[in-house]
Parts: sequence; structure tokens; C-alpha cells
Amino acid sequence: MRKKKRTVSKILRFFFLSLYLVAAVVPLYWIFLTSIKSPKEVYAYPIVYWPKHVSFESYKFLFGFANFAQYFKNSLFVSITASFLAMSFSVLSGYIMARYTFRFKKLLIITLFLAQMIPAYLLMIPQYTMFSKLGLINNLWALVIIYVNVAASFSTIMARGFFSRIPRSLEEAAMIDGTSRIGAIFRITIPLSLPGIAAIFSFSFVNTWNELFTAVLFINSNSKMTVPVALNSFISKAGIQWNVMSAGLIVALLPTIVVFAFAQRYIVAGLTQGAVKE
Amino acid sequence: MKRFIFWMLLPTFSIVAVLTYYPTIKGVFLAFEDYTVFNFQNIQFVGWQNFENIFMDPNFFIALWNTVWWIAFSVALQFVLGFALALLMKEPFKGRGIYAGIVFYPWALSGFALGILWSWLLNGQFGLINDILIKLHLIQHGINFLSNPFYAFISVIAVNVWYGVPFFAIMILAALQSIPNSLYEAAEIDGAGAISKFFNVTLPYIKPTVVSTLLLRVIWVMNFPDIIYGMTRGGPAGATNILATYMINIVYYETDYSKASAVGLIIVSVLMIYALIYLKFTSTYELGEI
Repeated sequence: MRKKKRTVSKILRFFFLSLYLVAAVVPLYWIFLTSIKSPKEVYAYPIVYWPKHVSFESYKFLFGFANFAQYFKNSLFVSITASFLAMSFSVLSGYIMARYTFRFKKLLIITLFLAQMIPAYLLMIPQYTMFSKLGLINNLWALVIIYVNVAASFSTIMARGFFSRIPRSLEEAAMIDGTSRIGAIFRITIPLSLPGIAAIFSFSFVNTWNELFTAVLFINSNSKMTVPVALNSFISKAGIQWNVMSAGLIVALLPTIVVFAFAQRYIVAGLTQGAVKE
Repeated sequence: MKRFIFWMLLPTFSIVAVLTYYPTIKGVFLAFEDYTVFNFQNIQFVGWQNFENIFMDPNFFIALWNTVWWIAFSVALQFVLGFALALLMKEPFKGRGIYAGIVFYPWALSGFALGILWSWLLNGQFGLINDILIKLHLIQHGINFLSNPFYAFISVIAVNVWYGVPFFAIMILAALQSIPNSLYEAAEIDGAGAISKFFNVTLPYIKPTVVSTLLLRVIWVMNFPDIIYGMTRGGPAGATNILATYMINIVYYETDYSKASAVGLIIVSVLMIYALIYLKFTSTYELGEI
């Protein structure tokens, strides 16, 4: 009787897990399918489930006519630079926050948390005024600086979380063995927290790669567009060509899928540790 | 030592001061001025004028009302489904790691891109969803999901739920896995069944996670215009506007930066009030060290 009950619950579990898998995967798969259909098959009725022949026309259009390679390069530059800087900043400040007590520490931590609550789009207009006075509109560095700001405050909270989990005694032992403080940090603490640092980098990368609203306001020349800005400009043109748009979406999603695949475990661990007490 | 601390903290806190806090203060002033794209030179203090304009706009109240439903439905469904998924994934099974990697990926993707993607899936003529519904004999003709105000609103919420389930599942799964097995064993000795174990061991143990995740999630969902912007841009006729998209449309299409800042200020005020009430009712210690 008990065994039978267990089998039933196993089957039910399998059923619901599969159902969710389908719901998660099919949308993306459908977009991929649309991107390799010829325009004729995209707008065929009844809907074509299995394209007769694979067509790379939409990708050719994307990289030939629509200059997508340039947007991709712009996005890579902005995301990698910003994530790298944010990672470096937050490792420095997160370490201090985890190891030392000093005046105003609490206040500084609160400023970081409050910063999470202020929506980016409230900041973007004053930031726009600031940057236009500096002549930095239409400049990818402006986006880099803004994205570092967003990423660094959150990453510092995360970094503080995983640094405080590494016992101070390990560093002290290394210092007794004759290493300097900085040496101990670089030889002991940083290697031990590499998973967390990887999580910070990939988390910032994903957020930065996906950012749209500031980029739309700050970038208005075609050659400086990032990938989300380019996709946005596809919509505004009368009538979307869905096979081209789908190819654009696939290209836009690809880097974050790759990063997520590599760093998934770290992102998840970093997030759950940084945000919630065990 | 003091010097060391100062220099290590300087990069992060100088950028946060200059690019978060200074603009925030500027934004508050801006909300009481008349700064538009056509008026850079002669910006003046106009008092509550921007707020009066906003409160005269019926679309603002639609957006406000929509925001309430948007948050309530999105967060509630994300939570329930995410919780269910986490419970289903709690016991190890073959390939669980790979399964988690696949079902959690939507969360890492661009909300805006996913919005566009779903607007194709929901297309009235060539959309996959319509075709499936017709094949299942649930409907006879394709529905133009995104041009009908009611369906459009349901659709953006459904997509937001689809997008947000993994986040809750990740957080709750992590919490579930940290429950010591000895607690369950002790409960079993006391004669607790599955349901009693769930209510007396599982729920109390993960409560702090749930409380802090819900707090963060409401804030994030309120500040998350990406999916709506990708799917409908707030249309048809403002039917899917929430305050965030309402504000962004003012920035892009009306280019009235002061009016937009005033909306932003309203959003932040609402969030502050929400956070205070929430913290009062849930007592802060249960939040853990967020």
C-alpha cells in the first residue's frame, strides 16, 4: 500500500516537472525555429512546425544590413568593462565591510541597501543632464560608468557576505608565516572566494547586457547602439519582420545563456548567501 | 589603518554618491521644476504644478491601479508556483542539476527581449499559443491577445509570472535544502505525518527566506517595466501601463523630464511606505541579514 502510494507520487512529480520543463523551454525553442525559417514559412498558415529547409537569411540580414556585429561589440565592451570594474570595486569594499569595524560602517551599509530601492529610471534623467554637461552623450563610457554604479552597490553586499564566511584565522596564519596583509588577501582570501567573485562578475554581466532604458536615452547614433537599443529600434519601425527579430533575440540572449550555463551554480549560491541569512 | 580602509572603500562609495545619491536629490528638485527637452536654459521652480498635471491625467490612475494588480497577481503566482517547483525539486532525482540549469535560465535573460519574444508567441495570426489553443479545441479563432486591453493585461502578468518563478524557486529551494534532516526525524518520532511536518517544520524554517524574498520581489516587480515595454509598451491605450512604464513613456515620448521625475518621486514614496509597513508587520529580525 505504501509502496503504491510512493509510485503514484513519483509519477505525479515526474509529470509536473516535465510540464514545467516544456513551459520553460518551448518559448525559446520556438523563437530559434522562427529565426531559421524562410520569411514565407514564418507567415504560412497553417503554422509550420518543422521547417522544410533551414534558412539563415535572417541572420545574414542581421549581420549584413542591420550591422548587428557592431551592436554586439558595443554591448560586449560595455558589459565586460562595467562588470570588471564593479567586481574590482566591490571586492575592495566588500572585504573591508567584512573584516573591519569603523565609524559610520552601519550608515555606509544602509546607503548601499537604500541604493537598491531607488529605481534606475528615476536616476536616468539627472544622470542624463550630468553627462550632457560633460559632453558624454552618445558615448559608451557613459553607460559603463552608470552600470558600474548599479552593479557595485549590490556586489559589495554580496562580497561582504562571502568574505565574512572565510575565517579570519586563515589570513592570520599566513601572516605569521611571513606574508604581508595584502599578500594574505591575495594568496588566501581571494582564491577561496573565487566562486563568489565569479558570481558577482556574471551577475553584473547579465544585468548590464540586458539594460535598455538608460541606453535608449543616452545613445542615439546608430554606430553606438547596444544590442537592446537595436532591438528596440526594430520595434519602432513599422511592422516587425519576425524572422529577423527572432534572429536578433537569439543573438541577444546567447551571451547571457552562455554566462548563466558556466556560472549558474555560483550565481545561485552567491544570491542566496548574499541576500538571505542561512 | 584608517587610511587603508578609506582608500579601499573610496571607489565604490564615491561612485554610489555621485551616481545614485546626487541624482536622487537632483531628481527631487527636478520634480518641482519645468525641465523639458525644449527648455534647457530657463528652468524655474514651479511648485506642485507637475503633480497637479499628473493627478489630472486619468491615465495616471489607470497606471496606478494596474500597478496594484500587476504586483499582487505577479508576486502571488510567482511565489506559489516557485514554491511548488522548489518542493518538487527538493528530493534528489537523476539529472536534477541539469534540470535546474534549464528551468532556471529564463531568469537570467533580458526581460525586454523576453517581452518581444512573447509578443510573437501571442501573435493573433501566427502565434504558437493561439495555434495550440485551437488544436486543443479551446478556442475557434485566434485571439489578438495584445490588442485587446483585458487579454493584454492578463498576458503581461502571465509572462511576468513565467519569468519570475525561477527566482522564487531558487531562493526557496536553497532554504529547503538547508533544513537539517534531524528536525524531520524528530517530528517523525513525535508521530507527525507529511502535512504536519510541512506546517510545523518546513514552513517555520523557511519563513525568514520567504519574508525577505517577498519584500525584495514586490520592490523589483514594481520597478520592472522591461517585460511590459517589450510586449505592449503600455498599450493598447494605456491598458497595460504600470507606473514604471507610464513614467518611461513620458521620458521617451513627451520628453517632459520634470513630469517624469514627479512620477518617479511618487513611485519611490509608495515603495518607502510599503517597506515601512511591511517591516513593521513582519518584525525586522525575521529578515535575516539582508
